[in-house]
Amino acid sequence: MKKSSIVGLIVIAVAIAMIIVIYTDSSTYSTFTEAKAKEAELYVVGVLNKEKDLYYEPTVDANHFSFYMYDNDSTECKVVFRGSKPQDIERSEQIVLTGKMVGDEFHASKILMKCPSKYNQDEVEIIEATSAQVATDAITTNGFTID
Amino acid sequence: MDIKYVGESLVPGQLGQFFVILTFGSALLSAISYYFAAQTRDEVASWKTIGRVSFWINALAVLGIGSCLYYIIYNHLFEYHYAWAHSSRSLPTHYIISSFWEGQEGSFWLWMFWQMVLGIVLLFRAKSWESPVMAVVMLCQAILASMLLGIEVFGERVGSSPFILLREAISDPVFELPNYLGMIADGTGLNPLLQNYWMVIHPPALFLGFASMVVPFAYAVAGLWQKRYKEWMTPGLPWALFAVMTLGAGIIMGSFWAYEALNFGGFWAWDPVENASIIPWFTLIAAVHVMVAYKNSGHSYFTATFLAMISFVLVIYASFLTRSGILGETSVHSFTDLGLFWQLIFFNAVFFVIMVWMLVAHKKNMPSTKHEEDIYSREFWLFIGALVLVIACVQIIATTSIPVFNAVFGTSVAPPVDPIQHFNKWQAGFAVIVALLSGFTQFMKYRRTNSRKFFIEVLSALAIAVVLSALTVWVTKVYTNLMYILLVFASSYALVANGRILIDAFRGKWKLAGASVAHIGFGLLLIGALVAAATNEVISVNQSGYIAVAGFDQVEQPGDNLFLTEGEPVQMGDYRITYVGDSVAPPNVYYKINYERIDEESGKVIESFELRPFAQNNPAMGGLIGTPDTRHYLTHDIYTLITAAQAETHALAAGESDGLSDLDEYEEPAVYEVNIGDTMRYRNGYMVVTGVNRDATIQNIPKGENDLFVGLQVTVHSADGETYETEPVFIIRDGNVYDFGKDVPEQGLKLRFTNIMPTRDKLELMVYQKPIPEKKWVVFKAIKFPFINFFWAGTIVMTVGFLLAIFRRNKEVKRQVR
Repeated sequence: MKKSSIVGLIVIAVAIAMIIVIYTDSSTYSTFTEAKAKEAELYVVGVLNKEKDLYYEPTVDANHFSFYMYDNDSTECKVVFRGSKPQDIERSEQIVLTGKMVGDEFHASKILMKCPSKYNQDEVEIIEATSAQVATDAITTNGFTID
Repeated sequence: MDIKYVGESLVPGQLGQFFVILTFGSALLSAISYYFAAQTRDEVASWKTIGRVSFWINALAVLGIGSCLYYIIYNHLFEYHYAWAHSSRSLPTHYIISSFWEGQEGSFWLWMFWQMVLGIVLLFRAKSWESPVMAVVMLCQAILASMLLGIEVFGERVGSSPFILLREAISDPVFELPNYLGMIADGTGLNPLLQNYWMVIHPPALFLGFASMVVPFAYAVAGLWQKRYKEWMTPGLPWALFAVMTLGAGIIMGSFWAYEALNFGGFWAWDPVENASIIPWFTLIAAVHVMVAYKNSGHSYFTATFLAMISFVLVIYASFLTRSGILGETSVHSFTDLGLFWQLIFFNAVFFVIMVWMLVAHKKNMPSTKHEEDIYSREFWLFIGALVLVIACVQIIATTSIPVFNAVFGTSVAPPVDPIQHFNKWQAGFAVIVALLSGFTQFMKYRRTNSRKFFIEVLSALAIAVVLSALTVWVTKVYTNLMYILLVFASSYALVANGRILIDAFRGKWKLAGASVAHIGFGLLLIGALVAAATNEVISVNQSGYIAVAGFDQVEQPGDNLFLTEGEPVQMGDYRITYVGDSVAPPNVYYKINYERIDEESGKVIESFELRPFAQNNPAMGGLIGTPDTRHYLTHDIYTLITAAQAETHALAAGESDGLSDLDEYEEPAVYEVNIGDTMRYRNGYMVVTGVNRDATIQNIPKGENDLFVGLQVTVHSADGETYETEPVFIIRDGNVYDFGKDVPEQGLKLRFTNIMPTRDKLELMVYQKPIPEKKWVVFKAIKFPFINFFWAGTIVMTVGFLLAIFRRNKEVKRQVR
């Protein structure tokens, strides 16, 4: 057999192995209900429940942060994250969690947030101008209200 | 209804827009003219002249765009969306440069700028290659310029102009007012993460790398097109080396920025954006090796040409990935879609089609050799090495492109949950093979190697490498994992083998220096990356481990973040750390963290240093954003990052006052009726009334004949033994009663002498105390990165190696010309 065909065969074999492994390594975007059934590390996509309080008391434990999140099926679940609170989570539009279900809580190892992009942000911060003097109060308006 | 807006300066934008259109038009004209010049083999001189003239116009127009945009950002002309979205008044001048390329438009401009600079070099140096090469380069320039057009063609917007006005970009009722501009407080500012000096130089280096990839592509196209099959590699090779060098340096600078300024705690995270930039680097490195093999043996012409071309196509693919918004939630830092999605696909398609067309049409005429490569030949193993790099690349592309596959096939597969582990698993294996190949292939000769001599050299290098790697593994403590040991061994082998070649180079074979130095750098880089990534440890581990929180105790494991209260030392690994305090330099707050290493026996401080990580509270960008500070040692780094902090200092940094008047800062006062000699307690000690001063004076207030100025002399004794004298004054002036209180700021006290009650022979004293300030605290994370200096040193050595190689290959170009 020619050397080039041996090399070619090896390349094909490695490529197939690679595709299989990438496939097995790849994950799915799932829901809390599925996470409960599978008990494996996976992604859960959802939105923050802004009605309920976010719990982070660094004076008590700097590595504990918990909040409530709705997944794409609108199931609510408590999420516990071993780490400090990601700073912009209140503003997030969407949250992608990596982690697994432990009991009734979802233990996240990673939190990825999608925040309103500054590129399509339609908010203009305007200052209230009073005669010659510029007031220090800056107000952010979406719909423009100057009283 | 037309509104006449007040105060807008529209000239720079209109001028800029004119330059954008001029850039596009001149690039297109130049590309077409050069095309015909190349087709006619420069026989019609006028085509080439038009090509050149329009190139120079293009160069000036590109500079014009840059100047207008810079003028707009520098002068805070927030009527322009770009200035509003990417800068703010408080931004230090040197970061204005970074805000220039924070947006996609600015980075496209940067790309065009470098392509223009490279074009100037080509104009003077390419000689007979000028027309075909410049035709390709200017085609690319035209497509890039189209990204900035921002004009509508048949109802579709083409490009996104950096000169669009704020009121055109955003709809808000405020724009119905003619004087809206006076109400725009400030721009939204530059992302604090980009406010780092590495961010001033990393994008230019990276884009110079990206831009220079077009040159080997253009030479390959030119070689096939003009049927100068064999010749193109000689001038193409130094350009390919240049692209590899600058892109490599640019990528590592980005990695250094990530390490120094980003808060994810590492230098490489296998983020899709990082992967996108490293893919073309791998293929072009493979291309360089196969090109060298072809030049010396005549083998693998097709592979060399294909790799040189695909590298640039992959550069465009990378910009599609990062700029089209397709990565979505898989990447932390890709751009969102600017409406350029299909335009980017068009860009990809054009160069992909050119590549395929050229390769297919000229396949038959490509030089080839009948006989097979000998297994003991350098060209064979260079080819294998290139193949391994390509396979490594395919793996990165496959995983990174998962969102693309999802978009094409409508699936929703998620990328691996732990990307770092996923990529490392594969890439470590490939790295071992590549490192070994880069070692023993150096002992091979082209065409045929004396196998006996070869094995002697290989084995002697092997023996030294075993010793060296055993030593390295022991010192760096990576013996826990077989893969780590293998990788250290392979890298050591590359070091030893190439060190051997370097010795030969010093003995006079200077030609060999470039390759051996670059490979030594590569070996060092691998060891550094491996050791730092494998053995970095979080040292801010919460050692007590049990902070009972109801409901979570069963899963309590020590966390990575440590809570520090101001002035209270905490033992962390070898160090005693204290949060000493903070200093505010708007918009940042610097936290002083003092590290002390204490000798266990004598209790003396052996070593002491202070790190000042800082954080910026930027609500527009997502709250508190920490920037780490790192203590560098020869053998390791200590990296410290603030992950949470008390909010008050940040309010101060943002320049907000809480609007309280003087007295509101104090608690409700206590009112005492006193006489001389009386003692009163306060929170932190006591005070004694020592006397009454009937001749008190107050600055700037003249005392009239009937006026009464009385001071009450009080001595404050604080609990720590300090005493403070103070004298609040009571005044009756022109029949009116006033009083002048006195502060004792050290004790947070304010005393007022408010009344004299002669009937009861009492004096009224009011004591104000400030509330106890909440102790300042921070939450921080510290990571120790051992031997990361190998990684940086390896990069520098590798860059030097590439530079030497460029000099060598450039000499060959001159020889060919002669």
